[in-house]
Amino acid sequence: MRILLVGRITELQGLAGFVYPIAGSSQVDALILGEAGEKELQGLGVSRAYIADNADPGYSDDIVEAVREILGRNSYEYIILASSRINKEAGSRIAQRIGGPAITEASSCYLEGGKPVFVRSIMAGKAISRETITPPGVVVALIGGGGKSLSSRLEAIERIRISGERRIEVIERKPKQRGSVRLEEAEIIVSVGRGFKSREDLSMAFKLAELIGAQVGCSRPIAADLKWLPEEHWVGLSGKKVRPKLYMAIGISGQPQHLAGIMDSKIIVAINKDPNAPIFKYADYGVVEDLYQLVPKLIERLSRR
Amino acid sequence: MNIAVLVKVALDTSYIRVDPSNRVLFDEIPMRISDIDRNAVEEALRIKQQGLASRVSAFTVLTWGSNPKRVSEAQNLLREVLAMGADEAYLFSDPGVSISSQLYTSRILASMIRRSGDYSLILSGEASIDGYSSQVPCRVAEELGLPCVSYARRIELREGFIVVERDLEDYAEVVRTRLPAVVTVTREINVPRLPTLLQIRLAMKKPINMVSLKDLGIQEIGRIHERAAEGVKMQRKNIMIEGRSVEEKIEKLLEMLAREGIDLTRR
Repeated sequence: MRILLVGRITELQGLAGFVYPIAGSSQVDALILGEAGEKELQGLGVSRAYIADNADPGYSDDIVEAVREILGRNSYEYIILASSRINKEAGSRIAQRIGGPAITEASSCYLEGGKPVFVRSIMAGKAISRETITPPGVVVALIGGGGKSLSSRLEAIERIRISGERRIEVIERKPKQRGSVRLEEAEIIVSVGRGFKSREDLSMAFKLAELIGAQVGCSRPIAADLKWLPEEHWVGLSGKKVRPKLYMAIGISGQPQHLAGIMDSKIIVAINKDPNAPIFKYADYGVVEDLYQLVPKLIERLSRR
Repeated sequence: MNIAVLVKVALDTSYIRVDPSNRVLFDEIPMRISDIDRNAVEEALRIKQQGLASRVSAFTVLTWGSNPKRVSEAQNLLREVLAMGADEAYLFSDPGVSISSQLYTSRILASMIRRSGDYSLILSGEASIDGYSSQVPCRVAEELGLPCVSYARRIELREGFIVVERDLEDYAEVVRTRLPAVVTVTREINVPRLPTLLQIRLAMKKPINMVSLKDLGIQEIGRIHERAAEGVKMQRKNIMIEGRSVEEKIEKLLEMLAREGIDLTRR
């Protein structure tokens, strides 16, 4: 098999870790978009590295163009990118252009009978799909921070330049405010939903979170519709997928999109005054109670210890 | 100008069905209009109401089987889109065709759009609720040779151009591209309207044009993508904590959590 990893240098280590289970005796090459130092390249364990230093990975036009340039020189069975919104755009376009299949949001892969099988979540997190494709095809992978390195010796580094016009013009880029919220790494999450009647009342949840060393999450309406909290707090299918030891859903009804983001939690506690709230079916422990009664008393109880 | 909206009749994720060995029974799961595609329809209708578009057409490829039951289910669902205000719908379904990859879905959609008229803007949801692959709109753009801008949360039409505000992981950006173009929207862009009873009745008279493979110039639909799905087992304890007072409930909850190894009183 010939595998091409495509991305910025910071994504390449994660991509190498992703393909490690299927790499075996395959030839794995890398296409780096933007600058890359030789030392970083040596550490990846790929056979060949192409550097497209005039490609901006913020433009799907540039990514598609760089891959097209490489495919003109060499053929690859699997073209693999790291999951991001721009990369999903680019990956889909590359797949259509080569007339091949694609798998997005693949969370892992393994070999079965010598063939790579890719795993992804479907049906709002309620099912796991195991997929194989007839090459050549594209895979857009959910990558973690590290992962194992590949072990090939870097034989060649080749610099390429892309040409061609971008059809999308960026008028303005506004970096997002990045707070200290790291929901993906949180051990305990106190999560708030529509049961809270005002933005000010969320301070209760922050007080509780502070007492027990938790981070504060929220459901879609709080972040997207009411905008009471920045989006970095948003847990769910379109927000963050979390896997804490304890997830406390307070005043959250339990829409499927929200549940899809919390399924990997070890213990789920639901607090809601509506005994019919769907969240109770997905909780380990449920308390039917008005949060305005329960949360202040829970804070009080945990303060006197 | 005319607007095409890609609308998926998706599997309803609230009704997952599995067999005794936990394999997902896709054929038994009911369908519904993919939620985010409703936002795309809504956005198209708003543009039409501003007088900037004359026709809104919905394009659908039935990917979950083409038996008569599925076809009539899809037709009924497309009536909802027509009731919202779309002028017409095109539905691809062919009993001789099983669609294994988004490659073919997109080729079929592109061919349907090309044959149905002149569209300056093609809108779609950022992803479908069932598969959530986000592939089809950008593939359709590539097939038609058009630019694709995804994840729009605000769009504005200007003479021959579209300006899109979109949200990426690390930054938000405002981009501009020439029409015709394909744009995908997120749920944040608007709140889809609920049709009135009168609109629902009027929708019965609007056309749903059936399309099959022989109507399109597509040579071959192959099998290049295989899938097998299993249900995720939700093993939750579902213990409801009862008590005569709030204090009692709190004590019981803390005790239960301590037994799980999470002692909140000692953190």
